[in-house]
Amino acid sequence: MTSAENSLDQQLQLFASVVRAVNAGLIVLDADQRIVLWNDWMERHAQQPASAMLGRSLTELFPELANGRLHQAVVGALKNNFSSLISQTLNKAPLPLYASAEDAAAGTRIQQAVQVMPLEFGNQPRHCLIQVTDVSMAVAREKQLREQALELQSQTLLDGLTGIANRRRFDAHMDDEFRRAKRNVSPLSLIMVDVDCFKSYNDNYGHQKGDECLIQIAGALTRVLGRPCDLLARYGGEEFMAILPDTNADGAMRIAEMMRREVEALELEHAFSSVAKRVTISLGVVTQIPQHNATVAHMIGAADRALYKAKHSGRNRAAAYGSGAS
Amino acid sequence: MFNLSELEHDALVELFNQGVGQAAAAMSQIVHEEVTMSVPAILFQTRAECAKALGNKDGRRICAITQHYEGAFNTEAILMFPEEKSLEIVRLMIGQTVSMDELSDMEQEAMSEIGNIILNSCMSTLANIAGKELQGSLPIYHVGTSDEILSHSGSQWDGLVLTLKIDFNIEKHQINGYVAFLLDLTALQDLRQYIDNYLARIGR
Repeated sequence: MTSAENSLDQQLQLFASVVRAVNAGLIVLDADQRIVLWNDWMERHAQQPASAMLGRSLTELFPELANGRLHQAVVGALKNNFSSLISQTLNKAPLPLYASAEDAAAGTRIQQAVQVMPLEFGNQPRHCLIQVTDVSMAVAREKQLREQALELQSQTLLDGLTGIANRRRFDAHMDDEFRRAKRNVSPLSLIMVDVDCFKSYNDNYGHQKGDECLIQIAGALTRVLGRPCDLLARYGGEEFMAILPDTNADGAMRIAEMMRREVEALELEHAFSSVAKRVTISLGVVTQIPQHNATVAHMIGAADRALYKAKHSGRNRAAAYGSGAS
Repeated sequence: MFNLSELEHDALVELFNQGVGQAAAAMSQIVHEEVTMSVPAILFQTRAECAKALGNKDGRRICAITQHYEGAFNTEAILMFPEEKSLEIVRLMIGQTVSMDELSDMEQEAMSEIGNIILNSCMSTLANIAGKELQGSLPIYHVGTSDEILSHSGSQWDGLVLTLKIDFNIEKHQINGYVAFLLDLTALQDLRQYIDNYLARIGR
């Protein structure tokens, strides 16, 4: 052996040992999509020795890949000389690779990011390299981050005392529903709720009892709202708002009356109320099919005026905006 | 300024529409939902004009996926979306609604794949009419102002940008993006030659 041959031989041995050691799956396909290289990482994670894979075509071994994204990327590399990235997020684990024998038995695949690249060497027809990386750790970490973000997001949108939606959530939800009602030309109802004589309740029973009272009322109002699209929010101190999409004026008045009765039925003693011996609420109801120039602020103003009407008609009742006292 | 004849221009628009059509089909297959894409207009601009059109002055952040191609002609291909739109696209593609302010690593990778599919499809129609190969690199993800992204190929560069407006539709949402090809004088001449040969071949 000449020294040049000797160093070439050394070089080849070096490359071969790198391919064996590298912490990524390497597959090389020839121009006919037959496997000509299947490294140790692949042997371990596919639980298939190279000897069983070499010379066989990719789609013969893995028929589920046929015409899928990975297969198209292979064709793109062999035919068009293009490189492709196959992300874990958009392609759920295309290759049957497993971290352990237990995972293999359970069918739990490694989360994988795959790169496909054309390979030119010597005067051989073009080959292609499939490179597989295990991204399971990154996927798990992001899942955790996303859950934390979701948790945080929901915390900043909830009222700390009552656990129902807060003012911020109300504003965002109201905007969404208002836009939706406008687009769909559907009726949207809003109920503004105020606890009757709450100042004297707080003054006489103390703020702690006042807080408990609000928690109970929030619970009672929530029980009345059945649909997932309805939203009850704490709007201010002792004010609540209910957003009722796709609800007409009759429906909204019915809900308001149910809310009034539900709170009355709590039988929370209020010896200092000018209305009754127990805690009661007044409600202002407005229903609109929002027109082009309508605004959320105007609709909230209308609910406020209806509530004012309910209070001036003696409290413990619901009044609708734009109709006689009810 | 380099300009194409009306016939050349129309042929190029048609070819790009074929390209993004194939990309849309590939993406529909991935998300099992209808994705459509079209190229309503193309434009040759200087780099400064293109950067300005993409809101460089306002310091608007752009999310870009770049790939280098060489062979039939040499170009840096860039898919660009305003950053907030890239969040929307990826989340529509993944079907996930939790919004963080930036794309996570895995989402960036997904965005890179979307760019990879669109750019490879556009280039494959061009390689096809050229009858020559284009070797494509892997996609790289960038975020920055349009100026930062477009100056990727160095400040000495004096070619033109071929800009494609792309309408991307998924789940009743329409999102507009841009594909830019940085072409130097040689590449521009090569491209025109391929289009002319193609037009002659199909007898137009």
